[in-house]
Formats: sequence, C-alpha cells, structure tokens
Amino acid sequence: MREVLVERSLPRFAAARAAAALAGAAGGVAVAPLRLAEREQRPLPGPDWHHVTPLLSGICGSDLSTVDGASSRYFEPIVSFPFVLGHEIVGMVDDGPLAGSRVVVEPVLGCLARGIVPPCPACAAGRKGACERIGFGHLAPGLQTGYCADTGGGWSDGLVAHASQLHRVPDELADDAAVMVEPTACAVHAALLGAVQPGERAVVLGSGTLGLTTLAALRHHAHPGALLVVAKHPVQREMAAALGADQVVRPDELERAVRRLTTSLALARGRSTSRLTGGADVVFDCVGSSSSLASSLAVVRPGGRVVLVGMPGTLHVDLAPLWQREIALLGAYAYGAEQTPDGVRSTFDLAFELVAAAGLERLVSARYPLERYQEAVRHAGNAGRRGAVKVVFEIGRATSPAWRGRGPAPASPAPANPAPASPVPANPAPTSPVPANPVAANPTPESLETNA
Amino acid sequence: MSPRPGFVLEVDRSTPPTLFWHGEGWRLERLPVGSRVVYPPEPFPALAEPDAAIRHALEHPVGDSSPLSSLLRPGAKVTIAFDDVSLPLPPMRGPDVRQRVVEAVLDTAAAAGVDDVVLVAALALHRRMTDDELRHALGSRVFDAFAPHGLLLQHDAEDPDGVVHLGCTDQGEDVEINRRAAESDLLVYVNINLVAMDGGHKSVATGLASYKSIRHHHNVRTMQQSRSFMDRHHSELHSSNWRMGRLIAKAGVKIFQIETTLNLDTFPSQFSFLQKREWEWSLRDRATFHATSTALEHTPAAMKRQIFQSIRSPHALTSVHAGEVEAVHDLTLADVHRQQLVHVEGQADVLTMGLPYICPYNVNSIMNPILVACLGLGYFFNLYRGKPLVREGGVCIMSHPTPWAFNPVHHPSYIDFFEQVLAETVDPLEIEAKYEESFATDPWYVHLYRTSNAYHGVHPFYMWYWCAHALQHLGQVIVVGGDRAAVRRLGFKPASSLADALEMAEDVVGRDPSITHLHNPPLFLADVT
Amino acid sequence: MSPDSRAPVTRGGPSPLARLPRSLARALAPPTWPGTVERPLPRRNVGTEYDTSWSRTPAARFARALVTDNLTRPFVRLVADPTVIGAEHLDPLRGPVIFAANHSSHLDTAIVLSALPPRYRHRCVVAAAADYFFDRRWKADLWSLTLGTIPMERARVNRRSVDLAAELLESGWSVVIFPEGGRTPDGWGQEFRGWTAYLAKRCGVPVVPVHLHGVRPIFPKGGNRLHPGDVEVRFGAPLRPLDAGAPAGPRAGRHREEDARRFGARVEQSVAALADEAETDWWSARRRAARGETPDLRGPDAAPWRRAWSLPESRRSTGNGRRRTPSAPW
Repeated sequence: MREVLVERSLPRFAAARAAAALAGAAGGVAVAPLRLAEREQRPLPGPDWHHVTPLLSGICGSDLSTVDGASSRYFEPIVSFPFVLGHEIVGMVDDGPLAGSRVVVEPVLGCLARGIVPPCPACAAGRKGACERIGFGHLAPGLQTGYCADTGGGWSDGLVAHASQLHRVPDELADDAAVMVEPTACAVHAALLGAVQPGERAVVLGSGTLGLTTLAALRHHAHPGALLVVAKHPVQREMAAALGADQVVRPDELERAVRRLTTSLALARGRSTSRLTGGADVVFDCVGSSSSLASSLAVVRPGGRVVLVGMPGTLHVDLAPLWQREIALLGAYAYGAEQTPDGVRSTFDLAFELVAAAGLERLVSARYPLERYQEAVRHAGNAGRRGAVKVVFEIGRATSPAWRGRGPAPASPAPANPAPASPVPANPAPTSPVPANPVAANPTPESLETNA
Repeated sequence: MSPRPGFVLEVDRSTPPTLFWHGEGWRLERLPVGSRVVYPPEPFPALAEPDAAIRHALEHPVGDSSPLSSLLRPGAKVTIAFDDVSLPLPPMRGPDVRQRVVEAVLDTAAAAGVDDVVLVAALALHRRMTDDELRHALGSRVFDAFAPHGLLLQHDAEDPDGVVHLGCTDQGEDVEINRRAAESDLLVYVNINLVAMDGGHKSVATGLASYKSIRHHHNVRTMQQSRSFMDRHHSELHSSNWRMGRLIAKAGVKIFQIETTLNLDTFPSQFSFLQKREWEWSLRDRATFHATSTALEHTPAAMKRQIFQSIRSPHALTSVHAGEVEAVHDLTLADVHRQQLVHVEGQADVLTMGLPYICPYNVNSIMNPILVACLGLGYFFNLYRGKPLVREGGVCIMSHPTPWAFNPVHHPSYIDFFEQVLAETVDPLEIEAKYEESFATDPWYVHLYRTSNAYHGVHPFYMWYWCAHALQHLGQVIVVGGDRAAVRRLGFKPASSLADALEMAEDVVGRDPSITHLHNPPLFLADVT
Repeated sequence: MSPDSRAPVTRGGPSPLARLPRSLARALAPPTWPGTVERPLPRRNVGTEYDTSWSRTPAARFARALVTDNLTRPFVRLVADPTVIGAEHLDPLRGPVIFAANHSSHLDTAIVLSALPPRYRHRCVVAAAADYFFDRRWKADLWSLTLGTIPMERARVNRRSVDLAAELLESGWSVVIFPEGGRTPDGWGQEFRGWTAYLAKRCGVPVVPVHLHGVRPIFPKGGNRLHPGDVEVRFGAPLRPLDAGAPAGPRAGRHREEDARRFGARVEQSVAALADEAETDWWSARRRAARGETPDLRGPDAAPWRRAWSLPESRRSTGNGRRRTPSAPW
C-alpha cells in the first residue's frame, strides 16, 4: 500500500513554515516531514471497521496548513503521528457487509468509532463534531480520519473506517460529486449555524472550496436579502456568480461594496473613508487568516455575526470592534446533525442533496495520481491563481473500475486481517459496543438508507 | 497683428506630426495623409482695463434692468452667487475674473450701505470648494471679509431648509433653488462663460438647484436630445433650464446676471507650444517639448498630477455684460462664438482627440476613468454646432492613460459606480433606471457632499449621461494608451498605439476612413455643415 | 501530551528573575498616601498667582538683555523691519512710564520692546494675559525670562496684578500695556480697559500712547505662518492726568482731577490719532484730531462684512493672497 505519511518532526515543520513564508501557500511541501511511504495493509481497529480503497481524495485547506507547518499547536494533543493526510474521501468498501459499495467517508472520529460506551451527550445527539471524548477510546488520538495514526487517510490507496463513518453514494452521483460531499457538509453546517434570516445581508469572504460551497449552501438553505461574495481570481468570480452570488467583488472592494449594499455611513480616518458604522448581518469567513477575520469584523454590523468557516491558527486581530459592536464570533467546525424545518437531519444527508442540486462536481478542477503528490499540493496551494478550485487525488479508479450497477466488488486482496497485528487488544472494551447505545445499535443501515 | 481664426488643415506628406494631449503629457502622432486637423483660433486680446469695463457693465446693464447701484439700498438682502471651482480650466492666474467682478459689486454695495450680503458658491451637486480654492477664486480681500463671519456659503442642495420649491414648469419640472438666493431682494450671479454651454438661465436654475430639480434635465433622455448641449438652441438641456429660469423670474426672484468671457490663452508662455501649430514651433518650443516629454516619462504619476494641477492659465477677460439674464446671455454667446467658432465642412468616419489632464470635475484632483469618458464623449464630442464631427456609426479614438485611480475624497461615489455599476452594464438607460435613485439617496454620499469635499452621489451618473448622445451616435470608442482593465470596464476598446486604433476602426467604418482630429485644448466650437 | 504536562503543579506566578523588573519598580515608586491622613492641596504657581520677582533679579535681567538684543531684535528686524516714528517724545522723559499700545498680533510685544530706547527697554515689564501666557508653569517661566512679562487678568481689575504693577512703577520700572486686553479678532480696535488710566493716576506716571501699524498682516490672530512685511511704530506725546502735575498724594484734590475713565478715553483717542496719522499723514491727522474727527479705532458700526471691507489694510491686499494649491491626497 502507498500512502502520503506525515511524521512528527518539529524542525522540518519549522522549515516548511519558513519555506511557505517565502514561497507562498504549499511552499513547504518539499521540506515538510511528508513522504510517500509503502506499508502493509492496516489492521482493523475493531469490529464494524472496514477497509476502504479511496477513489478520489480531495486536498483541503487544512491539509495545506499541515504541509506548510502552519497548523495551530492546539491540535497537537488531538492528532497522532504518523498520520496519513486526506479526509475528503470517496472510496470503495473492500470487506464486510458493505463490500463493493461506493461510499463517502465521514471523517470525524466520534465516540461510536472510538468504541466509547456510553457515548458523550453530543455524539448521542448525532453532533459528532462536538464530541467530548475526542482523543480517548481504543483509537489513537485524532479528530478525524486523516489525522489519526490508526485509521490512515485519504491520500493513500487504503484506509480503515468505522461503519458509522460510511455513507453509501447513490448510483447516479458521480465520483466528482461525491468527493465534494465532505467539504459541502462543512459548508452546510456553517450556513445553518449562521442562521441567516430571510432578507438579511450575508457576506461570504473567500471563494475557495469552502467559500463556494458555503455560498451554495446559503442559496439552498437560507433566503438572504443579498449575498455578496469576495473572490480574488477570475475562475472564482465566475463560479461564485454561477452559484448564485448577488454580487461578486474583489477583496479590496469589499468595504465599499458592503457600505453601498447596506447604505451604511463610514468614519473618515484622516482623509480616506474607512470603518463602516453599519454593515452586513452575517459574514462567513471562509479563509481563516488574520486579515480575513479583520475584514469580517470590519464589514459586519453592530450586533451581527461572524462565522469562522475556514480553519484559523494563531491570529493577530484587533478585537476592539468585536467588543464595541457586540459581534458574535462563531466557529463552524465539521458537521453532525442539523435542526431543519423537516426535523433533525444528518449534515451529510443535506450535503448529498446540495451537491446534487447545485452541481458542485464542477468545483473539482484537477486530478493527480498519488505519486505526484508534491505537484498536486502545489497546485492546490495556488488553486485560485491557477484557475482551479478543488484539486483531488485520483487513486482507486484503475483498480476498481466497475462500480456502477455491479454487485459486490471483487474482494480486496487482504480481507482477512491478521488478528495479532491488530491493536485491538489494547482496548478494554472492544467487543460489544452495540447493545449499549440505541444510536449505535443500527448506525450503518440508517445512514445508508437516508442517502439512497 | 489680429488673432488668426481657427482653421482646418489637410494633412499632407510635409505635415509634421500632430500633437495629441495624453493626460499629464503629450504624444506626437503622424496622422494618415488626407486626415483633417481642426485648429483652434488664436486668443483674442484682453480688455485693456478689465476693472473699468466691469464697473461700466454694472452701471450700464442690458435688457430690462436698472444699474446695479440703483438696485442696492440700505436694508436690502443681497446674495452674490458665483461659478464654482469647475471654471475656468485650467484655474486662471490671479486675480480671477470672479474676484474682479465680486469686488466691484461689493464696492457698490458698501457705497450703498447694504449690510445683509451673503456670497454663495453655485456648486449645484459639485463638491464643496476648499478655503484655498475660494480664496483663489474670490481673492483674499473678499475671503477675509466674509468667510470668518460665515457669510461665504457654498450651496447645499441637500439642506432641506436651505432650498425652496418655487413651483413646476408647464412640462412638470420641479424648480427648487437655494432659499437664501430665492428670498433675497437681489440675486447677483457672477459667471464665467468658458464654453457655449455655460451661463444664461443655467447659472441659477442648475447652479443653485437641488437634485429634485436638476434630475429633470440631467437625464439620459434630455442628453440624447441635446444636439449638442453646446448649442443652446438645439439643446434640450438648455430648453429645460430656460423654462425653469423663466419660472424663477416669474416667482419674483430678481436676478442681476453678470457674464464674462475669456480668451483662449489657455497655457502659460513656457508651454506656448501647446497652443501653436506644429509647423510654427520655434527652436525653444521644440526644445521645451522634448525636455518636458522626457522629464515627464520619468516622473511618478502623483508628482505629474501635482505639477499639472498647479498650472495657472493666463486666460484674460474679453467681455463682460450685466443685466437681465437672457439679454446678457445673448451678447455673451455672441462673444464666445466670435472667439471659439471654427467652420468645418462635412463629417468624418473617425474622430480622434487627445484628452488633457483636466476636466471640470478634477480640479486639484485625479482624472478617473469616468471623467475620461465624460471629457471625451461628453465635452469634446459635443463641441459642435450643426452636426457631430463624426458620422453616425463612426469611431471615436481618444488618447489618455485612463488610470484606474480615484480621489477618494472628491469622488467617493465614482469608485462605487465604477466597481459596481459599470461592472454590470454600460447602458445609460439601464443604469439610470436601476441605480440612479439608490446612489442619489445614499446617506453616506449625502453626508460627504454636505460636509466634506465630495461630489454628490448621483454625479457619476451625470457623467455617464453626458456621454449618452455620443454612445448612441458612435459605432465604437477606442482609447489609445489607456489602462486596459479600466478602458474595458468603460465598455471601450483599448489600443496600444494610434496606428493600431486606426486599424481597429477600419473594422467598423471600412477601409481608408476619413479622419478628423480635434486639436483641442485650447477649446473651440466646431461649426459643422 | 504537551511537554509541560509533567511539570510540578505549584502556587506562585513567574520565577523571581522574571518578577525582578516589577519588584524593582515597586520598590522605587513613591509611597502611597494613607487614606486616613489629610492631604494638603498642591501649591498653584501659575496665572496671577505666579511669582515673577525672580525675573527681575540681576542675573535674569542680564539674561533677558542678552536675549532681547541678540535674538528678539534681530528677529523683529527680519520679519517686521520696524520704522520708529516719534521717538523724540521719549527723550525728555525720565523715570517710569506706561506704554499703551494697540494690539493685533503676538509680535506686538517684541516689536514694542525692540523700538524702545535702551534705558526703557532693559527696565520694563510687559503686562500679559494671565490666562494665556501664565497658564502653564513652563510658559510662565519662559515669557517672564525672555520678555519680562507680568501676569494681568484681562477681564477685570485684579488687585494682585495691579498692586504688582503699581509696586514696580513706584520702584522705577516701566510697564508696557495693551489696554485692549487682547488681540483684535477682525482688524478693528477694541475698547480700552480701565487699568491703564487707573495705574497712571495711582502712581502719577505719564502714559505714552503707542501705535503699531502693519503687524496684523504679518501674523494675525489665528494665523499659522509669518508673512514678513513692514511695520511702523509711532510714539505719541506723553499724557498725564490733567491737573496732576504734582505727585498725587493720598488726599491731593481728588475731586478736581480728571477721572480715570475720562483719562482712559483720552489715551484711546491719542492712539487713534496715531493710527490716523499712519493711514494718512501727520498734518491731516492733526487737523482731524483738532476737529474731533479722528476715525474711531473700533471701526464703523455696520455688518461684519462692511467692517472688514472698510478695514484700511484690506484695501491693500486686493491680490489673491496665498496662492497655494491645496495639497492633494494622492
């Protein structure tokens, strides 16, 4: 098996950070502790775990942060080295009852996957992103598949996933669309968290994958009075307009555009005009940098909301406006269950619907084989400038060509995992998580049915 | 030697390259053989004793008006309105004509013992003038006597208590003007008639009016029916203003109009080559041209602007008339025509023009792309009487660097207009219907117009409407040497050289087009038959 | 997991070394005052309370003489180039006098000092507005040293200030006073305040009327730049309260003397006559004065614009003045 492995090496992360500071996003890929490794197939950590062969696996902004050594050290206790990057995965299940099914992996590793009984209140309610037992259980610490030493990740030709993480892909949904489900789920979660009321003016800052999917989610799940999107590059602008932005502006036009949109006044500092006194009702920061957060705070109205969708690190931001204008700053991480007019629904289900409805497969703009991972990461790091949105690895396609209309796929070469190699014995209660928990009792069929 | 009139040159093989203005600089371009170049007349001599002429005019008014001294009495309420910073261009070397006239009026008022005198800058929806600009226009004596006491005002079209509605014309046009002016016993208007468009009833009916009133003539329909707005008898813009002016007179506002005309002596003597014919350039002219051109190439844009904006023109007074508005304006118009009219035979397929660094709306400021369009297609294109210099469906080629640059203090609404409105459409009618009202009522623009030095929120729209007649008439507009992104945003075609532009024009008007070049400024009015 | 997780859990903040700067600062800080002990109010040594006696010590006088002759006078010559007229009126004078001048600019003090003959220049004080020149300790020090100012309250007769001035007059010092109490806001004169006449009467010293012409265009009130020009300083004949030739004893015919108000008006008229002379010529000014037609220093009683319009100096500034283009923000 081949996988893009990230090891723990502070000097090399530091070097990557320095390289990225010089060469821009993804500049650290050559010096980061990152390599394409060969290894045996991973053991299954416990029952209800399955081997999955990725078909397509996306490169996410958080992956790029890791590569550039820019991730916050906050994550240190909740990742375990060495890990394999990649959490936007559409793949083929190799074994178990779902063998041969095409699935999207929901990467968050909550209580269910960790074999924790009873699950924490958040997981019990389906809000896996808010799990309070993150880092415990029989798995090595890791907030998601892709950051956990025991599960592997999407940038490989094989990983393991818990049955509760698998969502079967409807046959009519192409791989390109399916690989967009995970990021779209983040966007749906963020859009619903922002609770944009009908008629409210929303701003989406950033037009990468998250920005565009957030825009699509807002168009689909809310009725904003105006939806203003900030896009830097021509492709992003076209995409944003196609996905239903009312107005697409360049970053340096943002403040003026919001001022016009909301007919706000502004305070003149010196002789130039700046600092709006009003602003947008909700701002979705889909970048997560100091400057994007500062812009968000600059264009949101007093009492408005800023939803942090892009992953931030240690930011240097003046919070005086947040304090003085009583702005609510909300983090929007991952997904789980959402309160919708039709009742509580899984975020992934909503994401599946949105991907199909908004045709988000068009965001997939470049594919790379695993061997050319450095090139792929560089492309992803400069996606906007190079006319791309989502860059993906194309991995399992050749080995499992026929998924459509087929029954179980040919069994993977190593379905029977040698038990002694498994880390399972280390876990105190590996065997019977099932009866203890009504949600866990029947997790797989439920999630599969709703997706069908 | 009496000044020579303007004339039309036919380019032959011996013709030296022609001077094109190009923003803060110049280009020398070789026009194809057979092209025609229209040259402005030479400047008329100045009045020998301008102050005496002004006093004579005040005491010998024309039309149905008594001498100024007999109109002034102690206890009277007098308002003196004057043209704002947009005139003359470039700003004239001191003393400004307005200073001379206002001082003469004030001397008369002081002699008559009039206590209640207020000065108002008739800036309509233009930006407020700075203290230095007011001091330049009126002189220190006037400024120091009035400004410290709050008696030197600038018209505020957005002050609900500062304007008064006088009624509607028979065409339903609202007439709403400055309250102080309307309620005075005598309104003295001090005008500078730089081009044929200025003056007459437009002075008060536009200069002291509110948005509610101005929108009746500053709109796409009116501008498309003004052919051209430099020809008052074929200008819907002026017809509307005349209707309003007559209503103002009927409402009992007593106006004593003082109109002045200037000669075409536009640039200081060190730049004399700018108003000479190229084959008459002396050695000194040629040397200055090459030295300044080379120096300007290596000067940063901001410094170039500063240098050019500090040019003070030697314009001199050629006539002054005072009295009743229409009688005065007829005389003034005749004087303007005498100086500026150039006869041109027939229309061309292609009209070329070099656009200078200044237009009425960027004095001491940046000429942004919208103003470039307005100067070329609004002003220069319309400098005709009869029919346009270019045939319908023809091409206009303008030369200007057209930088994507705006002065945020003077032109805040222009930035939004350019970034938001023109990004979506360049069709004047669509723009008018969809955006005008929201810009005109935007509280931020209103605030800046009233308290800062910003043009009104609706002003960029007027700039675009000013182009409406040309946009409707022309087949294509090409900008030579402009910022590509900015030119394209305007809906024009960018070209890197005049030769390329002419090639591009051939796609529209066919091979071997006839070409007319407007050798402008100094400004002139083409009488096209 | 984190490297610190095995560090001992202890009480107390940062290490002693890290605390050093703060403990040092705390040790050297002034002690705090106990709340139960009453605090004396700090002594105010500004405004009319300011004690200027140090500035008349020989050392301070010597320093001031150096400043006046080597800095003040050359500076005045540079920006104002004063022409002194009527200095002969000062020749017969011996002993202390009061110089009463019109006031339009901060430069006035320096110009008057420069124009005085040395025997007065180095033995005189200038009555200056306590609220302006003495509102901060450093200003009070600076001006008393360089110009020899004493604090005077503009609005009312402050006992302390007047006593000080009287004391100085009696001990041989002369006093420069601007009786208008402040610089002219519009170019026209303001009413003369009473203390000039009061002082003259109380101390029995003559008042020399002084008129400064052309200072306002150089540096008017509210101006921020010097516009060098030419100035004329005119001294008039000394004035004494009528019938007060002999030193005014405590009971010496108080009822027969010209009262302070009348005397003040006479001082003002003399300054106005000097102003008239500056605008026209000596002879016609004298004739107008004789006819009682000297133009009022305070200008016509008309609307502000006409007052400004009829200001003599405005007629000379018909040029359009500063021809600076506004600085642009590009």
